[in-house]
Parts: sequence; C-alpha cells; structure tokens
Amino acid sequence: MPNTVSWYDRLRVERVVWSLDQRLYDLPSRTRIAHRREVRANLLTAATEVGAGEALRRLGSVRDLAEQYRDAEFGEGPRHSWLAAALFALTTPLILNFFLSEAANAYQQAITTGTHTDGSYTWGGVTWLQSPLTFALHQGQATHVGGAYTPLTYVLLVGGTIACGRLWRALPHRRTPRPAMPAAN
Amino acid sequence: MVVVTSSHDPQLLKGVLSLLLLHLLAEQESYGYEVVQRLQGAGFADVLEGTVYPALARLEREGRLASRLVASSSGPARKYYRLTGAGHVALAAGGAGWARHVAAVEAVLSRPLSATLQKGS
Repeated sequence: MPNTVSWYDRLRVERVVWSLDQRLYDLPSRTRIAHRREVRANLLTAATEVGAGEALRRLGSVRDLAEQYRDAEFGEGPRHSWLAAALFALTTPLILNFFLSEAANAYQQAITTGTHTDGSYTWGGVTWLQSPLTFALHQGQATHVGGAYTPLTYVLLVGGTIACGRLWRALPHRRTPRPAMPAAN
Repeated sequence: MVVVTSSHDPQLLKGVLSLLLLHLLAEQESYGYEVVQRLQGAGFADVLEGTVYPALARLEREGRLASRLVASSSGPARKYYRLTGAGHVALAAGGAGWARHVAAVEAVLSRPLSATLQKGS
C-alpha cells in the first residue's frame, strides 16, 4: 500500500539530498545536479512505497554514497580536490594577513608608547614574506605604509593551493585511467 | 524459484554488480529504484540503493548505459537507463567471463579433501 509522503518526510529527503550535494562539489556541476535529481526522485518513489525512514535507511551512508559517485566519475584511488584547494587559497591569506597585521601593530605600539622622536622608522617586516614597512611618527600618532606580500609569498600560496588540492591529478594526461570492466564486473 | 538470501559477501557482490545491472537493464529499461527492487526480487535482498545508483552512474559514464528522463505523475522525473551497443558487448563478455570463473572455482572446490586431511593429521 502506498504511503503518503508528508512535508516532514520531504524535508528529511531534502536534508539527505542537500547533504549529498555538499559532498559532490568536486564533480562537474551538470553531473552533480543530475545525481542530486536522480537521488531525490528515487528517494521520493521509495518513500511512497516503504516510508521515508526505510527509504533513507536503505540509501545507506551519504558519505559512502558521495564517495562512490566520485569514484564513478574520477575512478578509484587518490584524486584532486578543488574544494580543498579553494579552502586553502581563501583561508591562508586571511590567517597570514592577521598575523602580519598583528606584527605591524606590535611594532607601531612600540614606537608610539616609547620615547621616540617624530620621524620615520623602517621595519624590515617578516623576513621573506613581506616588503619593509615604513612608519611615520608624528606627535605620538603613527601611520605606516608597505608590508606587501613578496613574490615568494605568492609562490608559496600558489604552491600550497596546488599541494593541498593535489591539483596535478586534475591534469588530463595525469588523470588515473579508468580501469576496464573486468569480465565479471 | 528465487531464493532470497539476507546476506551476500559484499566483495563478491561488488564484483558482479555491474554484470547484474547490465543484464537487468538488457531485459527491461528501468529507473534506479526499480532496478534495486528487481535486484531484491532476484534474491539480493541486502543490496542498498546507495550501492546501485553510483554503479549505474559509472556504467553510464563508461558508455555502457544511456539514460532519458521520463515524467512521473507521482513526483520528479525519473531517469530511465537502457543498454547501449557497448553495454551489450560488455554484457556478453562479462557473462562469458563469469561462466569461466564459476567453472574454475567449481573445479577447485569439487576436488576431494581427504588426502590433504590425512597428510595434516
């Protein structure tokens, strides 16, 4: 006997579909959307037949399902992750800026609270990571210019992004070849 | 008669799942949940939907299945799968491979164990 799928059941299904979708961001968007729609349609059909709880139980772990979809797309084994690369590229400059700014503020506080005369002071900045900073002190108030990233910092950011996302695996000629289907597979 | 068993060796099942899917879809065009129901009806009661859907996606990506969306009166459009020419070739090769595999396993398992047991004792 068909079950009625309530709004609550639909919400449960949507939560699982959304959770799956979040784990498929490394897939091409068209493929990801197709998987999302297919799983939703199948879950709603199953929910009308066996109930939403049983339908969701029989789907299994969302994490495993997403992993198998990624295996189906990219082949089994290690692969690149655009998500990890983007996470590194976005968060590392934020953290780096915070610490560089804290270091500059510490230097500025030192020259404003000390018995320094008005004038300009130069601090070399964090070695290798940023250009020198020049502080102008005038009647106890300090301003500063400089402190930009050095080319090495940009190289490290790009290198870190590539390493974190294992992006060399995304190169077409480095992509792990999909194993041919064995005789009984 | 269909023997419904509640547990299969997952590794063994994983090895033959593609072959089973190809055969079921060669019999009849189906959508994901329907394929699962047919698998369960054939005795694979413990097959999870979460195992079958990615396997269908992989076969489609390999060009062994083609799909089309069919509107459903009871919900979102369903994705129906059918075999392509490459799928029929893979099914034939897989079936022959499976028959060879079963014959080889049968040949080993049918050997008498008495001689070995006597040596061990």
